[in-house]
Amino acid sequence: MKEISELKFPDDRGYTDDHEWAKKTGDGVRIGISDYAQDQLGDVVFVELPDVGSSFAKGEEFGTVESVKAVSELYMPIGGEVTAVNESLADQPERVNTDPYESGWMIEVKASDPSELDALKSKAEYLEMLKG
Amino acid sequence: MMPTIKTTPLHHWHRENGANMADFGGYDMPLWYASVKDEHLAVLSGAGIFDTSHMAAITVCGTGAADLLQHCFTNNLDACVGPSRRPLSPGRCVYGAFLDEKGHTIDDAIVFMLASGNYLVVVNAGMGAGVAGHLTGHLDGRDAAITDLTDRLGKMDVQGPAAAKVLMPLLADPETVFGQMPYFSFKGHYDGDSPLADAVRLDDGTPILLSRTGYTGEFGFEIFMAPEKIQSLWQRLLTAGEGYGIRACGLAARDSLRAGAVLPLSHQDIGHWPFINHPWPFALPFNAEQTGFTKDFIGRSALENLSDFSFTHAFVGRDLRKVAAGEDSRVIDADGRHIGRVLTCVTDMGIGMHDGEIFSVASPNRPAGFKAKGLCCGFVRVDRKRKPGQAVEIADSRRKLTVTIVEDVRPHRSARKPMAEMI
Repeated sequence: MKEISELKFPDDRGYTDDHEWAKKTGDGVRIGISDYAQDQLGDVVFVELPDVGSSFAKGEEFGTVESVKAVSELYMPIGGEVTAVNESLADQPERVNTDPYESGWMIEVKASDPSELDALKSKAEYLEMLKG
Repeated sequence: MMPTIKTTPLHHWHRENGANMADFGGYDMPLWYASVKDEHLAVLSGAGIFDTSHMAAITVCGTGAADLLQHCFTNNLDACVGPSRRPLSPGRCVYGAFLDEKGHTIDDAIVFMLASGNYLVVVNAGMGAGVAGHLTGHLDGRDAAITDLTDRLGKMDVQGPAAAKVLMPLLADPETVFGQMPYFSFKGHYDGDSPLADAVRLDDGTPILLSRTGYTGEFGFEIFMAPEKIQSLWQRLLTAGEGYGIRACGLAARDSLRAGAVLPLSHQDIGHWPFINHPWPFALPFNAEQTGFTKDFIGRSALENLSDFSFTHAFVGRDLRKVAAGEDSRVIDADGRHIGRVLTCVTDMGIGMHDGEIFSVASPNRPAGFKAKGLCCGFVRVDRKRKPGQAVEIADSRRKLTVTIVEDVRPHRSARKPMAEMI
């Protein structure tokens, strides 16, 4: 397991207590899990994602990420309708480990309340939480 | 007061090398280093080394030692070696368990016969004192000295098809050591003062007890030695094995490898219920007809007069998805009845399904282009006997999966391969 200082936390997105991130991309919001989360999970071997068109409230479970050892739930950082899922994770789930902020993204949503993005933790606040 | 977590002689190495650590049996142990998957696959295709110094060992010595073990241990020491059931002899070891009067498992163990009246009993982490106490409590006047060696021995496992090749350059006399070494046999001794010690020494003179056993289903060895010598051997093995893709492996890979090899985890797959009706009948002293036992032992009466029937079965899934094992899991039969719970559920990343057949990355007959995507596997404990091939559902609060009851999971395992093929 890496030290917090060895992990990456881009400051162009918001974070949740459950270690998801959300980043505004044009009209939508892209969602994934943080470098800390993937490091804790170990090798990701399967990602279960929702169908395009399904809607979830903020905090609702939208999928699962499975490592060799365990299964963890994924929770919505913001509420919204799923407009895209990262199909490449079906064959390359390891992207969640190797590139959690870019090619390892999970879903894109159309935010039901864009102000929910502003309520997410900043990089500094998230780091503070991780360091306890 | 909070119990202090213990460490092994390799603890500093694990920490220095970025291991993901966790408490296991009261010891701070590596779960994985960089990648569980890579560690698991290394053991199927090359070699992996595991720090197993957390495991406990007990010596049982004296004119009454054999009789004491015969009374307390499930396997019949007078008839347990090979298909012809020869008696345990010096240089051979055997798997079994220690049960209480209810037939419940105290712990599983391997009993090593060092010499007449001289045995080494290897049990699980944190179980040394408990098993030693159990044996002491059943001495009943027998002449046997029981010594708990907890934390006084170093132990590591070298597992995988390249294990002998990796070890060979580090041994003083590898040809002699590997000359006659069948599965579940051992040579040498960890104590340099033992007359057995000269049988296996490292090239620097360090005595080791080298056992052709393991907990992965793959070819390999367990090594017992002085704790202060283990870090040097660990490092040397990593260097010697570079060309074979050797990896330091954590307990997570150990768990997924043993589950794919249909090996139980004590206190999880065997525990506080009768030690019978499970995939490990070879650990019990059954007669040839499997209708009764060939010796008396603690727990026998309970196993012969069961009041609560349960059956432990291995299963394999259709893909790599898992459920969370444990108290809250459920096993559901074809009629929708809740018939038991899941004991173990892990993903063996070295196997995959092709046209309904399981192949391993090590299968010589694997289809062209075969890619192991992983299959979930493990054990269920149910209240009615299932047959191989039957489907059941396993469930947790999150998902329900259809799995198949099987007798075996990962095919083409290398553990029993003749030594001549492996050196």
